[in-house]
Amino acid sequence: MSIRLQLLLIALTTLVLPWAGCQYARELESTLRVSQESSLLAAADTIANALSAQPQRVFGDLGDGPAFDWAQGDLYVFPLHNQPLLDGYRDDWDLAVAPKSMPAGGLAARLQAGCTERYLFIYLEVDDPKFDPEPSNAHPDHDEFDRVDLTLQRPDGALESYFFATSAPGPVAAQSVVRSDDGVDHAALEPRIQAFWLQTSRGYHLEARIPRSLVGSRLWIEAIDGAGGGKAGFMGADSSQGGRLFSATPGLNELLATFIGPGTRATVIDTNALKLGLAGSLTSSKDEDLRTGGTWYRRFIAGDTSHWPLQASAPDHLEGKTVTAALAGHPSAEWLRANPSQASLLSAAAPIKIGNQTRGAVVLEQAGDQLLDLRDRALTHLFNLTLLGTALAVAIAFGVATLISLRIGRLRFAADSAVTTDGRIRLDMPESNRGDEIGALARGFERLLARLNEDTQYLRSLGGKLSHELRTPLTIVRSSLDNLESEGVRADQAGYLTRAREGILRLQSILSALGAASRVEESIKQAERVNFNLGELVQSAVAGYRDGFPAARIELDTPTDACSMHGAPDLLVQMLDKLIENAVDFCSASGTIFVRLTRADTNYELAVSNDGPPIPPDMLSRLFESLFEHRLGVDDQPHFGLGLYIVRLIAEFHGGRAIAANRSTGDGAVFTVILPVI
Amino acid sequence: MGYDRGMRKQIAIVEDEPALRENYAAALARQGYQVKTYGNRRSAMQAFNIHLPDLAIIDVSLEDEAEGGFDLCRDLRALSAEVPIIFLTARDSELDAVSGLRLGADDFLTKDVSLPHLAARVAALFRRIDALRRPDNAAQIVRRGALSIDGEKMQTAWNGVPVTLSLTEFWIVHALARNPGHVKNRQQLMDAANVVLDDNTITSHVKRVRRKFQQVDPGFDAIQTVYGMGYRWVE
Repeated sequence: MSIRLQLLLIALTTLVLPWAGCQYARELESTLRVSQESSLLAAADTIANALSAQPQRVFGDLGDGPAFDWAQGDLYVFPLHNQPLLDGYRDDWDLAVAPKSMPAGGLAARLQAGCTERYLFIYLEVDDPKFDPEPSNAHPDHDEFDRVDLTLQRPDGALESYFFATSAPGPVAAQSVVRSDDGVDHAALEPRIQAFWLQTSRGYHLEARIPRSLVGSRLWIEAIDGAGGGKAGFMGADSSQGGRLFSATPGLNELLATFIGPGTRATVIDTNALKLGLAGSLTSSKDEDLRTGGTWYRRFIAGDTSHWPLQASAPDHLEGKTVTAALAGHPSAEWLRANPSQASLLSAAAPIKIGNQTRGAVVLEQAGDQLLDLRDRALTHLFNLTLLGTALAVAIAFGVATLISLRIGRLRFAADSAVTTDGRIRLDMPESNRGDEIGALARGFERLLARLNEDTQYLRSLGGKLSHELRTPLTIVRSSLDNLESEGVRADQAGYLTRAREGILRLQSILSALGAASRVEESIKQAERVNFNLGELVQSAVAGYRDGFPAARIELDTPTDACSMHGAPDLLVQMLDKLIENAVDFCSASGTIFVRLTRADTNYELAVSNDGPPIPPDMLSRLFESLFEHRLGVDDQPHFGLGLYIVRLIAEFHGGRAIAANRSTGDGAVFTVILPVI
Repeated sequence: MGYDRGMRKQIAIVEDEPALRENYAAALARQGYQVKTYGNRRSAMQAFNIHLPDLAIIDVSLEDEAEGGFDLCRDLRALSAEVPIIFLTARDSELDAVSGLRLGADDFLTKDVSLPHLAARVAALFRRIDALRRPDNAAQIVRRGALSIDGEKMQTAWNGVPVTLSLTEFWIVHALARNPGHVKNRQQLMDAANVVLDDNTITSHVKRVRRKFQQVDPGFDAIQTVYGMGYRWVE
């Protein structure tokens, strides 16, 4: 793993900061939830206490009656926000609840009531496919026709009976049976009570509008099938029970509104959980920017709320654990989901007690979003700061790592190329003037290279020095032998003398080989350049080698046209000598040495190839180094790895270079000298 | 070989290496020469001031003087223009050879010259001295075009202008010019010059010979290199 990657990983550990922030934010959120719960509960309790002091304003005229009983004809009157059109459809009532079935006696009917400020609305669906029209001047007691009876208790307590019937569907007015002065009952129109009769495939709808001034606290509805005689509904014969109209207490909404702040909804319910008053709304003005900015990471940190119950509420009543508990006399609070999208909602309910009796409850609802906003605000700051910090840390780590790895890379490259392909040593390392560990490493490299260079220099000069220093003692020995021979030795001693001379000769050839490179370096310094024909030189030299090495077969290939060259021909011949000697040494007994001179663009290429064993690839570039020897066989000639070094020296003197390669066919080696045409 | 008429030739050997000095002295004494040996420049110069030797063999580096031999040669030449001087050196630097010969030495040898070869040279130099003292003997002169060689006096001339060669150089020219057109390889030239040299040294000898002739005649081109084989004289 690269240093850059390592440091990057280390820098990424700063991501633990935002994680810790999330944990903290969750703690914070649950604390806030608890405190919101208790404060909302306290508020609910306070409101309940305040309301219990003025039961009249809360419960209206309803008094402390028995529980709401649909079967007895009790009816909840929904508050309507807009005045509906009398058309037999209740779409414009804007109510989510369906009409309720009435107790049936051979006829199915469903009923719903609503009110505006001035009118009470009745909506009735009757399943009676057969329409029995009203005859003219009908009497409900004697004639059989489809009709809806309406009995209402007037504000003064008197009961009044009306019926709706029509000869043809459309707008109708209520009728009442009036006994005229002549003692005959007949139907009279009550124009203040208007209705619309809509005939459908299943039966008919009746939508009626009654001024509230006509209605007291009770009302009964009954639908009667004229032909079949079936009935559905309630007949309010007894005014002491049933038919009660339950509805929001007038003025309670305004009273409630004084208790609550924005973002809170207060509902007052009676013991039947029916709504008596409602104020406030759950939506509060929110910082939209904050919300959109904060939501994207909410998914990472939001607590799981899917186990919370969904808010259950109907237009006429409330449900839920808190409501049940409050009506049982215990204040309680609960977190709800307003809808499946998990918007949270806090509901707190407190009982309204009058005396020791629970008469209803105050339910306060508050959006949990307020809390989220708080949390989001804190988290957004935290997140932005920690992310900024992390990004900064990562960037810095990456930068430092890049810098370090660049520097190390530079050092590595310098170390790799410190020993050049031609065996020279570069002593200066990059970074060595820096004060840190990498600088120290570079200086260490420099010291190492300096030592290596000293040793190499010494080794390189050793040959010349040895051949020089050994020459004098060698001369002493040889001249002594010369003298000894001249003085005359006995015949039996002559053998020793001969052997001593042979030893001397060998020593001398060794010394000569050792000093060869320094002699060539010397003559390169003295060399003079002349113009000559390289092709002729090679031809002539090869002719000489054929005489000099009669056992070797040498093939020559030179260009036909003149190869003019400016250089030192003697040196080039010496170079060729070394190449040929090398080739002869490695060529097999039956092999052929190929000498080929070609001209390529601005260069001459002189290639000498033999069929000797291939050279290991890692040796190829080192062959031309001084004192580098790679020989498998052993012969009687001393080899110090100077021959090819001399080739290189002479090639470089001419501005060229020497290359060793294996033949592409793998059965030999080629040594090529590239000389620029000057 | 080196017999003189009347008195024995005196040879001075200036060499700081005692063993070598004694070996040279013994070999030359065996040839009948009177040999004086000196270990450094001062003692040699003191002796030369009193009595000039007939021939001096001088080592280039003398004790603490790396080039004391050159100074000695210069001083000796100042005393006498004729005394043959042979330089001996352990170094085979061409620069040394050039400066030594420029100072008026008659020959420049590396120390690995064999004693018989050294003796042959000494004899040849004495013979030349003798020949120089005799009246001209035209019969000894060989002519090859513009070149004339006096084998006795070991002198050469190009177009009648004398070209001063060292003994080794003279023998090389002599060997080449005797059979013009024939290639002489390096071994043959070494044999002719009574010397054992490596190829480089032969090359630089030939180069030096060419340069000397070119000083007389810039168009000189009589010694041809046959690469890989040797040299030949062309007329």
